[in-house]
Amino acid sequence: METKDKVLMINPEKCTGCRLCELVCAVKHDGASNPSRSRIRVMKWEMDGVYIPMACQQCQDAPCMGVCPAGAISRNDELNKIEVDYDKCIGCRSCVAVCPFGAMGFNSIDKKVFKCDLCDGEPQCVRFCEVQAVEYVDADDVAILKKKEAAKKLHATSHKIALKKA
Amino acid sequence: MAVDTNKMSGAESLRKTRTYGKFRCHNPTCMGRLEPKPGDDHVRCPVCTSEFRVAWIRKDFPRIRGPVWEVNKKLAEKAFKKKMEGK
Amino acid sequence: MALNRKIAYINLTTGDIEVKPIPLDVRRKFLGGRGLDAYLLLNHSEKGCDPLGPDNPLIVSGGILTATCASATARTHVMAKSPLTGLLGSCNMGGFFAPEMAWAGFHHLVIKGKAEKPSYIYIHNGEIEIRDAKNIWGKTTTDAQWAIRDELNDQEVKSLVCGPAGENLVAFANVMTGIKNAGGRTGMGAVMGSKNLKAIACRGTMDIDIAHPVEALEYNKRFIDQITSAKVNKTQGTLGTPMIWGATNSWGGVRTRNFQYNQCEYADDIEPERIDEICEETMGPYHMSGCFGCQVHCRAQYRIPSGPLKGKYDEGPEYTSQGAFGGEPDCTSAETVLVGNHLVDQYGMDNLEVGSIISWAMELYELGIITSEDTDGLDLRFGNDQALLEMVERICFRKGKVADALANGGIQASRIFGKNSFDYLIQVKGMSNLHSDERATPGLALNIATASRGSDHLRSRPAIDLYHLPEEVLQKIYGNPVPYNGKLSSEHTEYVGKPWQVFWQENCYMGVDCLGICKYHTTFLGATLPNFEDWPKVLYYNTGLEFTPEELWEIAERCNMIERLFNLREGLTRDDLEKGDMLNHRYFDEPTRRGAPDVVGRTIDKEKFVRMIDEFYEHKGLDKKGKPKTKTLKRLGLTNEPSHML
Repeated sequence: METKDKVLMINPEKCTGCRLCELVCAVKHDGASNPSRSRIRVMKWEMDGVYIPMACQQCQDAPCMGVCPAGAISRNDELNKIEVDYDKCIGCRSCVAVCPFGAMGFNSIDKKVFKCDLCDGEPQCVRFCEVQAVEYVDADDVAILKKKEAAKKLHATSHKIALKKA
Repeated sequence: MAVDTNKMSGAESLRKTRTYGKFRCHNPTCMGRLEPKPGDDHVRCPVCTSEFRVAWIRKDFPRIRGPVWEVNKKLAEKAFKKKMEGK
Repeated sequence: MALNRKIAYINLTTGDIEVKPIPLDVRRKFLGGRGLDAYLLLNHSEKGCDPLGPDNPLIVSGGILTATCASATARTHVMAKSPLTGLLGSCNMGGFFAPEMAWAGFHHLVIKGKAEKPSYIYIHNGEIEIRDAKNIWGKTTTDAQWAIRDELNDQEVKSLVCGPAGENLVAFANVMTGIKNAGGRTGMGAVMGSKNLKAIACRGTMDIDIAHPVEALEYNKRFIDQITSAKVNKTQGTLGTPMIWGATNSWGGVRTRNFQYNQCEYADDIEPERIDEICEETMGPYHMSGCFGCQVHCRAQYRIPSGPLKGKYDEGPEYTSQGAFGGEPDCTSAETVLVGNHLVDQYGMDNLEVGSIISWAMELYELGIITSEDTDGLDLRFGNDQALLEMVERICFRKGKVADALANGGIQASRIFGKNSFDYLIQVKGMSNLHSDERATPGLALNIATASRGSDHLRSRPAIDLYHLPEEVLQKIYGNPVPYNGKLSSEHTEYVGKPWQVFWQENCYMGVDCLGICKYHTTFLGATLPNFEDWPKVLYYNTGLEFTPEELWEIAERCNMIERLFNLREGLTRDDLEKGDMLNHRYFDEPTRRGAPDVVGRTIDKEKFVRMIDEFYEHKGLDKKGKPKTKTLKRLGLTNEPSHML
């Protein structure tokens, strides 16, 4: 599969808050069900019915990469992702502290940091999300897809306004 | 291992019978196949003449929204009267 | 792994807590979830114990597959002797509580005694603590949950709570988690209230190792595809359970004006599509949400669109709320349904029982059996939306003579109201029927009459009976995993073959309840959904335990028999109208008046009905009186109950 420029695209509106992504992520990577091992987490505001899945954005200028004193974090251009070299990692958790998305986790069972690795090109969270709140798309397409969604809503609203006037 | 992964279960094999775009008349012993044209909001059962309002889950996936009250109410009253006379 | 999750015995009187592993031989006999709960209830309660006394054990559990890599393993099960029926109390709910409890290390809790002051239990990674609930007591179900999170300073805590109704010992108070996930039936909230137990809070980060993770993941995908491709689940995921109410009302299977009619006419404003519109207007196009790990996402989100409570957020309404606040009292306003749903969610009451019992009171009011003097001037007529909502509040807080009587459940209330009020009460074993009308469907009537927790559709309803499936398809479904050589009929108005279907469904539902999976993922509403043949695979990949479909069937039979043994011990007798497997006379005497031409004019034929019960007992291995035959108990390995293995 061509994965060079692919990214996770998250559409929080579509998320049903079921957390299946958390489950399959942990099972895929660690063979265990445990959301605290999951690379993707659904943040919830239950009283507003708002659910937002959060995962690594694989930043171009990644703060985790910059802050790592051991040089253990690097960019893999082949899969368009940021990865941790556990042979170099000293477990200082600086990357956990600096990540603006909270996407770098620390696993207190294995005493290791962990982050999304896009399942080496076949993200399980995407595969299992029936409502497509998490998608794996070309980086170039993200903006155009978002534009289309927004335009659809605009169209619907203007249509409704027109209907009301009529 | 006791588990045969590839064998289809009864439930899985039944999935093949699925059809979209049609539904059955809600008159239980009629159960005529109704196939509304895309976008139709009414459908009349050709077998028992019951009438239903149609809602569309997706473009190819209609379902009965509810009866056309005036029509089906009359049919029900007629059937009820007939049945009570028979008793 | 799932099999190392433990059982905890918590005594609220003494504060003693004992934690034990669940032995493998117990698992092989009862799996977990509802089945094991039933075993625990039979073993840890004394005959005739007071449902609201300290000796009634409250049992909370997840299924054997809870939080594993199988679809929708979200179900929490709660069991105790019911204050509503005096028989088996049992309720089951979705949400996120049971998985959290499993990650915290536990599958089953047995809670006994009574706390001296309002308390709650906090379970955190294997540790159990009984804490003071003085800041939480008196709060609504959602406020209580958020207060617990603030107090524990952890927003990931999941709690199971009772609302004000539970504190006030309303006989049908429920237990809740999240916004609307309710273990509704049989009054488990009142049992919590009677123990001074406001909540059980869980937080866990302990691994549940999956036995064969690669295969589990792959099979789970196939399992989910099977589930989500079912037409009925696609509709569920769009309209939620109201779609069932809509379809049922369309042909005339919805109880209206208590039991006078079987269809709510001109109910356009409470049709599923209309409710969906309101959800979309208030919450946007993506307004469906799901329980843990479930891709059906049948839970709608809404804000109340108008009226004094405008803007309040809630989830649902389920079809039960459409029945409770729509069809049964003959109120056809969406606002009333949505507000009623919100009130019961906040107070923690079973919407089904509330709506049903108020509708009964409305009929009594119109008949003059209760008067406006009894209701303190409230005009309790059918179709009076305001009176309906006022009664919900009155029942929760036991305000006034009528509401206080109703809060004790229908049978108790009928003794207070006197005259022939009991004749109008649509109940079995003391629990009100849901909003459905079974006069045109003998199979469904048999289901509610024989359900172990009282009139109930989620114990053994052969819902696919209404689809007119060809007989060979029925044979394919109902002839597995054990052969059935009798006749099956596609005709839902028939009596033939229905006892087997009900028996089969009873075992099927027990199966999913032991696994901890939702019923929308098995042969309930969809004929193509997984059951006995598919479960061994999910079980094997996730837990490493090997079962054949036949073995799972036998486990389900065994667990159902345990429930039967409990009910028999507590006084179930076959034909008793209050504590038996018998329907109200109206099913036999009053013909249906509305609905599709083939539905009007129907009653249940009593003679045939009694024969159906005989046949059903025969399938279950019971004698004519409904008691298990010795050879049945021997076959199921239940000759020494209670056997105190746990």
